[in-house]
Amino acid sequence: MPRVFFATDLHGSEMCWRKFLNAAKFYDADVLICGGDMTGKAMIPIVEENGHYTVTIASERQVVGGDQVADIENQIRRKGYYPLHVTPARLQELDQDADVRKATFQQIMLDGVRRWMNMAAEKLRGSGVRIFVCPGNDDEMEVDDVVRESDMVELGEGRMVEIDGFTMISTGWSNHTPWNTHREETEEKLGERIEAMARQVSDQSRAIFNLHCPPFRSGLDEAPAIDADLKLLHGGRALRPVGSTAVKEAIEKHQPLLSLHGHIHESKGAVKLGKTLSINPGSAYEEGMLMAAIINLDAKKGIKSYQLVNG
Amino acid sequence: MGSAGARPTLFLRNATGLVKAWSTFDAFVYSFWSVNLITLGLYGMSFAYTVPNGQLLAAILIFGLLTTFLVGTYAMLVSVMPRTGGDYAWQSRVLGGGLGFVLSITGWWFTLFLWAPIYANILVVQFFSPLAYTLGWTNVATFFTSQNGIFVSCLIVLAFVSVVVTLGMEVYARIQKICFWIGLVGLAVTCALLLFASQSDFQNAFNREATSLFGAPANAYQATIDAASKTFSGQDFGYFAFGPIFLLLPWLAFYLLWPNWGATLYGEVRGAKDIRKPFWSMFWGLWVTVALVALVMILIVKTMGWNFYQSANAAYWNNLFAVQGAVAPPVPIWPYPVMFAGWLVDNHLFQALLILVMGLWFFGWAGTLFLSSTRVIFAAAFDRVLPAWAANISAKRRVPYGSLILMIVPSVVISAVYAYRPTFTSVFLDATAVLALTFFATVVAAIILPWRRKDLYDASPIARYKIAGVPLITVVGVITGLFLLFMLYQWSFNGDNLYGTSFQKTPNSVYYFLATYIVAVVIYVSARIYRSRQGIDLRRIHHEIPVE
Repeated sequence: MPRVFFATDLHGSEMCWRKFLNAAKFYDADVLICGGDMTGKAMIPIVEENGHYTVTIASERQVVGGDQVADIENQIRRKGYYPLHVTPARLQELDQDADVRKATFQQIMLDGVRRWMNMAAEKLRGSGVRIFVCPGNDDEMEVDDVVRESDMVELGEGRMVEIDGFTMISTGWSNHTPWNTHREETEEKLGERIEAMARQVSDQSRAIFNLHCPPFRSGLDEAPAIDADLKLLHGGRALRPVGSTAVKEAIEKHQPLLSLHGHIHESKGAVKLGKTLSINPGSAYEEGMLMAAIINLDAKKGIKSYQLVNG
Repeated sequence: MGSAGARPTLFLRNATGLVKAWSTFDAFVYSFWSVNLITLGLYGMSFAYTVPNGQLLAAILIFGLLTTFLVGTYAMLVSVMPRTGGDYAWQSRVLGGGLGFVLSITGWWFTLFLWAPIYANILVVQFFSPLAYTLGWTNVATFFTSQNGIFVSCLIVLAFVSVVVTLGMEVYARIQKICFWIGLVGLAVTCALLLFASQSDFQNAFNREATSLFGAPANAYQATIDAASKTFSGQDFGYFAFGPIFLLLPWLAFYLLWPNWGATLYGEVRGAKDIRKPFWSMFWGLWVTVALVALVMILIVKTMGWNFYQSANAAYWNNLFAVQGAVAPPVPIWPYPVMFAGWLVDNHLFQALLILVMGLWFFGWAGTLFLSSTRVIFAAAFDRVLPAWAANISAKRRVPYGSLILMIVPSVVISAVYAYRPTFTSVFLDATAVLALTFFATVVAAIILPWRRKDLYDASPIARYKIAGVPLITVVGVITGLFLLFMLYQWSFNGDNLYGTSFQKTPNSVYYFLATYIVAVVIYVSARIYRSRQGIDLRRIHHEIPVE
């Protein structure tokens, strides 16, 4: 019976993606599922000027020679950012033109996803391990096309897939957030999206709902409270439930065996919602730590065991 | 867009979670409450008389200096591992899951049972008793000194803490801010009263109220000093000797060792990756308190007289603990400086109002008693060391009833022991020491972090901070560790049993704490065996997956 390894919200951290791929061997997993928000949030310019390179990482400005650039790029990728080689003139253009900046960001991001797909193929081709990726609300729509091009990684979004006798449905769409990201919609529409897939599942006792957004008020959806200016309130101590009511209703209605979530990095946990075990493994991608869940599925018991790990 | 000078250094896109940093002031308020000047501070310092010739002001400054290294150590740990912060996570990931569980669960779970009665006692001596005496409700005041009264006060504290947990941190954070500002006004009034009154004004006021409220004979001021003189040789604030200063440090730890109390929460804060915010919030929480306590001490010396204040403490505690030769003081309650300052105004309504206002220092602070404990219990439950129900939350009101039960039920039992079995008092005196031991384990984890978890350290913003090639976190950690070790030694082996916790004199506390460590080991080993049968290997929770 399959052992599932689920991680989510890697946000461009190449160190976490490499760990994700290596988790198959490390934990003897049969199925790897990446729950969404694969792409990074920032690009860091490496400015080439007079034969040297200037870059600022974590507020520290560095000027390095050409032989150190590869190391700098690795440092940037490890943190989940994208390195961007530019001349001073190109940097100025990016600074002043929002459209150019957006197009450059998309290009560098898609190149990053393509790079990850190639790494997956190199690492796991012929291993028998299945890899699923379901882009999240932070991932632009074009990411799906890049994943589809891969012959190793399977796209989860909007599909119902069979995994050794279990059925998984997936979506990376979320309810509205203050950031107005790429895959957000009203609770009503999100509910329809999930329902369209869920009603096709014949046996909910063997169903896995891979839904990026956690259910509302489940304990898996508590994010630091912010004000209208996106400023953290009360020293970051005050938490508010921000999950989806549509996701909650879908779980309550269909009672799948397992539901997998992410989206809220701070809200690591595993809870029972009726018959459903709902898991959000959390995310600490900035630290290069891969927070994940290992779920041992069983033909008779459904879920034989599960464990949250910090790999 | 980030920028250094004219050039942008970072381009951000629209993505979830890109928030603006939390206010350092908000985090400062939390840290400030944790080293609460009034509740823990005045209570803890009332034991300073036990150190002959101890210069309290110098000791406070030295303690502040040494605790700054603790603040630095924790701020750096928060910076390296912000998302998974807290003693349990740090110890588990650096020292190993088993050791991390045993050391942090004894400190953050089992020992906090003991703090409920301590909080209750503070509530009684700083709120219920002085308020009741001031309003003439002598029966109420004396009830809280009875065994039933002590137990009831513990139940009140536990009920209050439960309500706060049920209300949620967002609501309580608002309450805290209101208490903070009104409490500061109350402190300013108290200080002003002490500042503008002379020592003879105070003696007259003390003698008047001692007779009016307690029926004490004339000149209770001198009678208090005389009562203490049977067991206490008196103290001169101006006397300075180096050795006794250090012997005061373990007493001061009772309130000044906790500016890092919120470190278990920083993991939820995105801004924590920046070392400056957690450091400065804890630093100012510590040093503003140090400055205020220095001010209060100086005002007490000026207006009450240091020898009188220390004599009042000695007379109260020595009589309570039935020290040989001790006699009851004419004013038979804990010497609460706020109450004494209030007596400078000959109006019982004003005096009661001042006690009420200063009570906000308790109610704005005590609600977080179990907040960190619930987080540690959650973390252990998610790691499958504790059963899943320990992290359960009620669907409707979001109450973490699993962890709350695990805190409240044992606390009620421990409170009953505290109320009805006075021979166990020494166990409660150890409450500070066991938390210091938990901190010490975290500090050891910080010291070896650059080698033990090189991956995390090298990727962190603190990797560039070194002194003579040695990582700064290691240097700061070693200094902090020596400081904590000194206090742990004194608590455990002080030949005069100065703190009431020496192993050779207090077998009850040795047995109790040995039992807690054994229980923690048993829980962990049982969980390892039980989970192993389910196909779960607890050892691999913190094993790092290879990158290449």
